[in-house]
Amino acid sequence: MLEIVQQILNGLAIGAVYTLIALGLTVVFGILGIAHFAHGSVAMLGGYLTFAVMERWGLPFFVSMALAMIAGALAGLLIERLAYRPVRDAPHINAFIIALGLTMMVEGFNLLAFGADQVVIQTPYRAVFNVGGIAVAELRVIVIVTALSLIGITALLIRKTKTGKAIRAVAQNRNAAILMGVNVERISQVVFGISSALGVAAGALIGALLAIAPGVGESLAVKGFAVLILGGLGSVPGAVLGGVILGVSEAMAAGFISSAYKDVIAFLVMIGVLLLRPEGLLGKR
Amino acid sequence: MNQLPIFWLKGFGVLIALIGFLAVPSWLTLPYFLHLFILALIWTILAQGQNLIQGFVGYVSIAQAGFMGVGAYFSTLVSVKLGWPVWCSIALTPLFTGLISVLVGYPSLRVKGHYFAIVTLAYNMVIFTILMTWKSLTGGEAGIPNVPRPVAIDWFGIAINFEGRSNPNYYFLVLGLAALATTLCWMILHSRVGRTLLAIRQNEPLAESVGIDVWRYKLFAFVLSASFAGLAGALYAHYIGFLNPDPFGVDQSLNAILAVILGGSGTLAGPVVGSFAVVLLPEYLRIADSYRLITYGFILVVATIFLPRGLVPMLGAAVRLALRRLGVVRHG
Repeated sequence: MLEIVQQILNGLAIGAVYTLIALGLTVVFGILGIAHFAHGSVAMLGGYLTFAVMERWGLPFFVSMALAMIAGALAGLLIERLAYRPVRDAPHINAFIIALGLTMMVEGFNLLAFGADQVVIQTPYRAVFNVGGIAVAELRVIVIVTALSLIGITALLIRKTKTGKAIRAVAQNRNAAILMGVNVERISQVVFGISSALGVAAGALIGALLAIAPGVGESLAVKGFAVLILGGLGSVPGAVLGGVILGVSEAMAAGFISSAYKDVIAFLVMIGVLLLRPEGLLGKR
Repeated sequence: MNQLPIFWLKGFGVLIALIGFLAVPSWLTLPYFLHLFILALIWTILAQGQNLIQGFVGYVSIAQAGFMGVGAYFSTLVSVKLGWPVWCSIALTPLFTGLISVLVGYPSLRVKGHYFAIVTLAYNMVIFTILMTWKSLTGGEAGIPNVPRPVAIDWFGIAINFEGRSNPNYYFLVLGLAALATTLCWMILHSRVGRTLLAIRQNEPLAESVGIDVWRYKLFAFVLSASFAGLAGALYAHYIGFLNPDPFGVDQSLNAILAVILGGSGTLAGPVVGSFAVVLLPEYLRIADSYRLITYGFILVVATIFLPRGLVPMLGAAVRLALRRLGVVRHG
């Protein structure tokens, strides 16, 4: 029993990161209708950047992460401007194929710039607390808190600010928003910036929690989408629930079956949900 | 009347291409080039399969390399572990891969568009993980050495063998099968089923509303596309003679998508041109393996923005324009 609780706790940390990835994906999808598959690879780029800044300049983890997030936001602006905007009026399949091409490019760039070896970001949060026989690692708690704060800040931005209002308007009805004087191109840029910054944060957290390596980006993107499929598109509570389910089932699989098959189990959960509730657990029918 | 020259021109082009392909072993003197051509033809089968689902139906599947892996390992294991003849195992491979793809397609075709792509990609990752991890069956990353080649055929007293790489007989074998696959796609495209698939691509809700059981057609295209991939995998394994999971990762599925987009999605010649481009380009450009990913990604992005219909339709449009200028066709 104690071990089950332990695994659930382990799964929550990774699930929080998956939710962060999924949030970045869902805002882009909501505004631009693009399945931004390169998001996972951008996240990995962020993880590498965080690592590089820490190594090179000896800055603390969170400062490095913030710098990487700014760089990531700029990369997001570039991606939106150069790759996605030219196919804005083309069929959606074109944007998706561009996303696949971008994935290859970013993965290739990561490989060239940072090598093929896996990288683990060393953080000073190494303490382990013992709470009633359960080992609670400080790092996991910090990851969960960071991810939840970023999710909260993003939700506030979208709910409370004027730009957030414009973002929601474009998501609901693009043409009506244009008629009301919303600058859709600026909104697209803002959304890509926010989304990429969130992705970079997720990459840094993954780098601290597990490791970053070539190929992780693609699997991260798939998991982000799996979270959306689990939770239902466009629902933030759904994304949180989906992230928790995916993270916990992965941790359970790693703990009780085999860590080699943890991705397989996670995807089987997603496929099971698709079979039973294709609209997602909290999605609208 | 005006369309007639175009029809003859197309037929003529196909004939020339066929003669050219048949003559390849006699004018390609370097064995390495023949090796590349064999690989490109195997890729053609893979890409024709990808085109069925991506080009005809408009659903991007990112599992093509995974199914190629399923086919490669099935045929290899059946011939190595069960001792069945290689010809028999190759022939059974499309059936087995098709069967597996029904299991995969059933849940994934419940979602549309992008989500379908993501789910198939998840399947590719699952297949790859299983190939890597189930060491007792697949040998893991170390792979299976000495994959048997098809036994020689006795043709009126002449033994036709398939041993070794760059073997002209193997070239004719894959050429025949690639032509068969392309012909099958042609037949589908010009049948009621093909028109239905195109209707789904253009407007799925409309197709559904006129009483088409959309789901069945999508599953048909998906299963056939996976069978092609399986066949390509089997041909690849028995040709190379060594098998490990490396060629069956997600990157390779993305390359299959690139081949279809670059050549011309939804056309019959497109996947052929695209396959040769994807196989020959790195050799021609002499790019190091580490730059391959970034170069291919860049080509994919640029081609989608500036050449969304692919090389073959662009060439076709140029030929039509030239004919109109020359006064051969008035409204091409």
